[in-house]
Order: sequence, then structure tokens, then C-alpha cells
Amino acid sequence: MALVAMEQVVFGYDDVPSLEDVNLEIGAGEFVAVTGPNGASKTTLLRLMMGLLAPWKGKISLASRSEGGGKLTIGYVPQQIAAFNSGFPSSILEFVRSGRYTKGSWLRKLNARDHEQTELALKQVGMWHLRYRKIGELSGGQKQRICIARALAMEPDLLVLDEPTTGMDRESRFGFYELMKTQTEQYGRTVVMVTHGLDEVSPYLDRIIELERKEDGKWRCCTTTSCRGHFSPVRS
Amino acid sequence: MEMLHYDFMQRAFLAGALIALVASALGVYLMLRRQALMADMLSHVSLAGIAAGAYLHWNPTLTGFAIAIVGAVAVEYVRRSYKTYSEISVAIIMVGGLSSAVIIMNLNQSVNKSFSSYLFGSVVAVNRTELILMLAVSVLAALFFILMRRPLYQMTFDEDTAKTSGLPVNWLSLAFSVVTGMIVAAAMPIVGVLLVSSLVVLPAALAIRLASSFSLAILFSMAFGLGGVWSGLAASYAFSTPPGATIALILLAILLVGIGLKKGALRAAKRRSRQGHAEGAPDAPYEAARFSSSARVADKGESRG
Repeated sequence: MALVAMEQVVFGYDDVPSLEDVNLEIGAGEFVAVTGPNGASKTTLLRLMMGLLAPWKGKISLASRSEGGGKLTIGYVPQQIAAFNSGFPSSILEFVRSGRYTKGSWLRKLNARDHEQTELALKQVGMWHLRYRKIGELSGGQKQRICIARALAMEPDLLVLDEPTTGMDRESRFGFYELMKTQTEQYGRTVVMVTHGLDEVSPYLDRIIELERKEDGKWRCCTTTSCRGHFSPVRS
Repeated sequence: MEMLHYDFMQRAFLAGALIALVASALGVYLMLRRQALMADMLSHVSLAGIAAGAYLHWNPTLTGFAIAIVGAVAVEYVRRSYKTYSEISVAIIMVGGLSSAVIIMNLNQSVNKSFSSYLFGSVVAVNRTELILMLAVSVLAALFFILMRRPLYQMTFDEDTAKTSGLPVNWLSLAFSVVTGMIVAAAMPIVGVLLVSSLVVLPAALAIRLASSFSLAILFSMAFGLGGVWSGLAASYAFSTPPGATIALILLAILLVGIGLKKGALRAAKRRSRQGHAEGAPDAPYEAARFSSSARVADKGESRG
């Protein structure tokens, strides 16, 4: 069953369509990259998928339940999140722990699992040793990591990441791709990621969704390419 | 403590404490949502309600209260159209509120004089109705901030991620605006239009700089607000100065001293670090951040931080 499905979706800004004829399906457990040139509406596509924008035309379905039957959880790491309010008065630990707030009632006491998932997420992004630091004191790359950690701490069914590797060095990028691959293989999570670095990430992907211009140069639509079987995940 | 023998001073300290606690907590959220001038704007909008109440011979406090809530809701809807620049919504509604207030006041010249008490406040002349209204608003606001603290934290940090994680952000934001309108409207007759924003902005501005966590920022802000209001009232009694302005000046002084002390502490820490280098003390080992697919939760108890 598809976790996300789009049929004949049209969307634009100020009466000018920027996405047209978008048809795609993303299944549970897939690792998918969304790619395309600057201004191709990649972020818009992600926001449509998650229901943050409503399409002008067409149908978008996002599963309301996970395969396990629980409420679908989305972990979203927006583009430019690294530029967030630098004076926000919060420790890294408090911030990543807030990813657990959506599990159950708002008023419940955090339990051992909440603390363990917070610790695990911070260790997965290599930020556990800085957990008591204020988030305003971090570099852009470190802020990006804690935003990824918060999304991981949610134990999401769907991870949506908008250019998460911007500003990361080569070693970090490969570490990140491996971590995302583990999320799909080990936990059955679906990962949808906007990226410009297809050459690097392709070996880890199941599929590529490419936004491209139509012949008149005005509209954009999707083509999808299956990666599985075409590449072997070799880290260079 | 002689001043506490007077009933009016007891009421002033009680009303001041209630306002200080809720307005200072509210200020942290408003500042982080880039709506620091919302309290200022709502107090001006509320003035239009007070003028309308006086003109129509209704209770001005209650009409001011109602119009402030309407203004807060209007800001929320305008803000959704100017999402990136939320201060524009504040400016738009403030223009509407203030111009309406001036026109309605002009229609009713006979009551113009009494508006000075709304402009500058009269915490030492707070009456029983205002005190009960303030108490009711404080209890409601405290319940809202305590019960909604987790969703409010998420929404304040980033509305998009809060929405995708399943929070009803539009409803929560609307409720937050209504609570803001209620607090400002209840505080205005006591501290005045011109000074209500000082209680919202100044304690929060310092708390955000000093606190290492969100909960601490709220607590620091409440402590600074309470300290400022009580010491302002005492100073006002001792030196026969206007209470609202005295409170605002003391809050400003607390902010400036706090920022100065923080800067001094940072400079001292840098100096110590430089001295350590000069004396050959080893640096703390650098630990590079690396992604790890095989990370495990190691020691039980450590994860509680």
C-alpha cells in the first residue's frame, strides 16, 4: 500500500502554476530522493505531500495509519532550519526530547523509552556529548544535526528531509546516507529526501523522483527512476 | 512594610503580582514568535473598546476586554497572510485600533480626561472588579500555559514541523492569541496602555539571554517581572512617583544590569581561557560529530540527562 500518492496534482503561487500533472506513489519502507534544478518546486512537492499546502487540482493521499496500525508519524526537517532563531532558549537535550511530545498525551510523564530514544537519536547524529549546550550556540551544521535528531527521536513512519546534507563534509554525508538506509531497512521507515547530490546518494536509494520542465519550459512534472538493482552501495 | 497596612497597597501588590507573573510568561512566547509588539498593539486596540464603551455608556473595562480579544483574533488571521513577516499583522491592526480610538474619543470629548488613567494606569487605584477580572484571567492563563506547555514549545520553535507532527497549530495559535488579548486587556487598566508592553517585553528579553533551557526562561522571566513590579511599587510609594512609569524604569534597569552582568561574565570566561592557553593548560579534547548507524543506548539512567 502506498504511504503517499499524488494523482494529477496541480499547484502554484499567485495564479502561476509551478507544478502540473504530478503523479507519484511512495510505498512504506522506501528510500526516495527528490531532485531537480533550482526553482523546480521540490520543497513545494514535499509540503504538498505532508498536507502543509493544498493542491489547486488533483488528489493527494497520505496514509493516516502506519503499517503497524498506529497513527502515522511524520518527522520533517525543513530546508534552512539551520537558520532558526539563534536566540531560542533551549538546550539540545530539551529540543530533541520535544520530538517525543507527540507520542501519546501532551500531559503524560516522559518514560524510559522517551529518554532512550532521545539518547539514541543524539548518538546517531553524533551530538550526545554536546547535549547540555544551548541550541543558539551551535554552528549551522550542528543545528541541522539536532533537527535530524529530533525527527529521529519521533520514531517516524515517514521521514521528510529537505536538502539535509547542505553544508556537510563528505564523510558526514556518507554517514548520513548510511543512517537513512538503516532507518528504512532496520525500522521499515520511509525516507523522502530532497538532494542535489544524486551521484553520491544513488547507491543507497530505492528510487529517484525527478522534477523536470515540460517542453514549453513553463510547467514541471515528475519522472521516477528505480535505483534498486542498478547500483551497488559502495562507499568511495 | 508600613505601606502594606493600606488596603489599596495590598490590592496593588496582589494585582501587580498577578500581572507580572502571567505577562512575563506570555512575553517569552511572544518574543520568540516575533510578536514582541503584540501587547502594545492590543492595548491600543483595547483603547478603542474603552472609548466605545464610554461613548455608549457601557462598562469601558468590559468593552475594552472584548475588543482586545477581537483584535487578537484579527491579528491571528492577518498573520496567516503575512506568515514570514508576522510583525506586519501587528502594525496593520494597531493602525485600525488606534485610529478608531482617536475618532471615538473625539466624538465624546467629555470623557477624554478619564482616558489618562487608561494611558498611564493606576495600579494603586485598582478596584475590586478589576482585581477579580485580573485574578480570573491569571488562573485561565496559568492553566493554558501549564497544560499546553509542550505544544506551545513546539509551535513556538517552528509551526511547520509542529503541524507535520500532528499538532492542531491553527487552533492552538488562535487560543494563544485569545489568551494574549485577555491578559493585555486585564492588565491595561492597572498598568496602562503605554506601559503594558514593558511588562511583556523587558523581563522576557533578559530571561531569553540568560536561561539555558526553555522552562528556565519562563521562570526567569516571571521572577524578573515580579521583582520589577514589587520593587517598582515600593519605590513609587517611597518617592511618590507614578507607579506604572516607576515599574517600567525598574524593569529597564534590571534588563540593562542583567545584560551587563552577562557580558562581564562572558569576558571573564574568555580571559580565563586565554590565561589557560598562556600557561600551557591542555585544551578539552575535540570530539568530532559523526553520524552513526550503529549507535546504541549505553548506560541506563544516563539518557535522562
